[in-house]
Parts: sequence; structure tokens; C-alpha cells
Amino acid sequence: MSVEPTGFLYPFIDADERDASGLLADLAASARAKIADSASVRADALEQCRPVLDAAGAAMAQRFRRGGRVFAFGNGGSATDADGAVDLFRAPRRGRPLGAVSLVDDRAVLTALANDVGFDLVFSRQLIAHARAVDIAIGFSTSGNSVNVLVALDEAHRRALLTIGLCGYDGGAMATTDTVDHCLVVRSDSVHRVQEAQAALVLALWSAVQRNLDEEIGDD
Amino acid sequence: MQPLTAPVSVPVPTLADDVASDLASVALVLARRFAARATMWCVSPSWPAHGRHLAVEFVHPVIVGKRALPAVHLDGDIVTTVRLLARPGDIVAALGTADDAAAVDVLRRCEPWGLTGVWLGAGARPPAGAADHVLWIDAADGADATDAADAATAMRSGDVVLLYHLLWELTHVVFEHPGLLHTEPACGDDVCITCSDEGRLAEVTAVVHGGRAEVLANGNRETIDVSLIEPVVPGDLVLVHAGVALTTLTSPSRCSP
Repeated sequence: MSVEPTGFLYPFIDADERDASGLLADLAASARAKIADSASVRADALEQCRPVLDAAGAAMAQRFRRGGRVFAFGNGGSATDADGAVDLFRAPRRGRPLGAVSLVDDRAVLTALANDVGFDLVFSRQLIAHARAVDIAIGFSTSGNSVNVLVALDEAHRRALLTIGLCGYDGGAMATTDTVDHCLVVRSDSVHRVQEAQAALVLALWSAVQRNLDEEIGDD
Repeated sequence: MQPLTAPVSVPVPTLADDVASDLASVALVLARRFAARATMWCVSPSWPAHGRHLAVEFVHPVIVGKRALPAVHLDGDIVTTVRLLARPGDIVAALGTADDAAAVDVLRRCEPWGLTGVWLGAGARPPAGAADHVLWIDAADGADATDAADAATAMRSGDVVLLYHLLWELTHVVFEHPGLLHTEPACGDDVCITCSDEGRLAEVTAVVHGGRAEVLANGNRETIDVSLIEPVVPGDLVLVHAGVALTTLTSPSRCSP
């Protein structure tokens, strides 16, 4: 577990404290430091992941041209990141809409699978039902070690889907498994900074796909 | 052909320095409300992923040992649902751009319902008074503040996620200062000055005989005279002064400029 550098904000525990001005100044200073840190983590992630983004964007565009769709999945905050990615691909405010499905969207399917076969299989079982070889699997796990995400990426790879993983810390198992074709690692040990950078990476990935599709049409 | 897409480069954070101070103030307000047993109702009509992320952040903290706080994401008819579920003193946290009509509507009803409204978003800012508290990502350099697609990009760049991550973290820091949790300011900073000069905002809940109506004002039920503005229907927002409704609000903006 990471230790957040907020210890300096707890100089005392004082039930008689009445003046909030000192606390408010500390809070604002902490926020400023985190904002700067977030900007730096995001810029580093975009820079370090540039080759992966280019390659993954081109590979995804190829599959979209052949009728492929995205299946995205993750747990907790990463589930909402999967939802957000699906929303971006499917209904962008600018650019062409592309097929994408969130595997955390259907509570009937999720709870049925979790109840009957276990939570480790909630995403892989859905891929078995839906996915075709031309499709794309995108798994989100800040630790890189979420079992159900890794199992689903393995299953997707076995079915010849393009597999993309987004993770943090040192990448965890996701960064070393050979079943992930393109791994986007945010080198930070804060879940929050990882998720903020992943949002930027997804936007960059989407943008690369759109650019590739534009260029392919331009070449025709 | 005309390029359809934005360049691959993703805007770097453009959070203004004062957003840090805004975050500090709102964290103090939230911690005090939570300490008084408030629930935070999270609504994000056009960005459901953000609303869910905000709620799970508070309910299931990423840092072991931090207390779970009651936050619930709602979708569908959010005005009807928040009206039904929220209790005076609760919090409404809306996420979205300033042109989000559903967010505008639920936030302007926070005052009659006795709730604290917080609006988190990006792009062009909402008008003054649209919410008790606004935490905002201004348009990036080179982006068009009035362009909906640029605002959407700002909603997705990670900055809005950063806003609620910090809001969560700072709220928990305030909990380490128990002496400050129960000190409400003598004069609430969540009262719209313009409105208080004009009268109180109330929501009609039922029409009764003789030019009178039952309304919610600041979370309290009362009966007022609506003979000057009849007909009214439940859901109407009216300005009330000394027990008399003076006008019906039709504009989506809660306060006159």
C-alpha cells in the first residue's frame, strides 16, 4: 500500500481547534502539490507510452476497419474508466463513432456470473459469449494484478483478439504476461495519479485510432 | 479531407491556482456535512462514468483505513429521484459541462430542498449562482471555451478525475481535525446573496384551495400565498417574500445577473 505524503497535515488532533484558516491553507497547498504531481505523471506517461500508443492505435484502426469492436472491463474505479473509454469510442463529440461495449454495464450478467461461477470469471465468460477474433479487448487494472482482468485478457488472446492493458505501479502481472499485445503502464504508486494518467492515455489512444482511420480513408 | 479529429496531443492540466483554494473550502463543507450524517448524491447525466467513479471513491476508499462515506450515484430522472431520497443537509454533487440542462435543474433546486450543491466540470463556466460551490477546469490554452467538443475533451483528460480525487482526499484530511467539523459559519457561505435580497426560492409541492400552495423552502414544508402568480403546479420554483410568492422562475438560471 502506498503511503500518501499527507502526514505533515496532521500536526495535532485537537478537539478544541476552532480556526479553520490554517487547515484551509494546508489543504490548498496539498492540492497544489498534487495537481503538479498529476501533471508530471501524465506528461511522463504520455511520453513513455508514445510508441505503444502509436502501435496500438494503428492495430485497433485495422480491426475497426474489418468490423471489430472494443470490449472494455475493470473493477471499481477501473470499471468506470472502462465505461468512460466505451463512451468515448462509441459516442465521441467529434470524430467517427466506433463499436464498443462495457463488460461492467449489465448488472444481471455480472451478478449471475459472480454468483454462479465466481468473480474471477465475470469478464472472460462474457468474452466467450460475445467476442470474435477481429475484436479488441481493453483491460484496466491499476495494480496490473486484478485476477478477473488478467483471466479475461488471457481468454481474449486465446481467441485472437487484440489485447490492450492499462495499469500502474510497475505494471504488475499485466506488464509481463505475453497475452497482452500492448501494455500502457503509468509509472506511479498512487492509484489516483495512475487513474488520472490513464484518462489521458485513453484519450490519446482514441485520438490515434481516429487519426489512423482518417489516414486510411485518405489513402483510398 | 477535413480532419475530423483533434491532434493526438492531450492537453496538459490547466488547473488554475484558485481551484486549489476552492477544493480546500469545499472539502471543509463536505466533511462538516458528512459529520452531520449527510449523504452525497452523485449525478452526472451526460457523464455516468464520472458520477459512478466519484461515488465509489467515497464509499470504498483506495487507502486502507479511511472511513467509508455515504455517496450514491443516481441516473435516470435525477430531479425526481433526488427529491425523493435526499434529506435536508445532504449534498448533491453534479458532474458535467455548463450546458447540461439536467444538472442545472437539479442544482437550482438544492436551495429549496435544503441541500448543498457542488458542481464539478470543465469548459465554459456555469453562471454565478448556478450552484453553491463550483469546482471547475477552465478551457485549455488553445481550446475554444465555447466549443462543446473541446469541453468534452477537457471532461476526459483526467483533470476532472483529479478534481474529485483531491476532493475525496482533502475531505478525509478535515476529519483529522474534529474541532473544526461542527463549526458552521455564523453566516452560511452557501446562500446566494442575490436570491436572499429578492426572497427565498421555494418549490411547489402541492396546490391547496384559496390561492395557497404547499412549498419546500430550505428543506422545510410551509404553506404560502400564490394568488399573485396562479396558476402554479407541483415542481414550479417560486420566489417567496414574507409568505407570498412573487414570481415563478422559468429561466434555467437560479439568480438574475
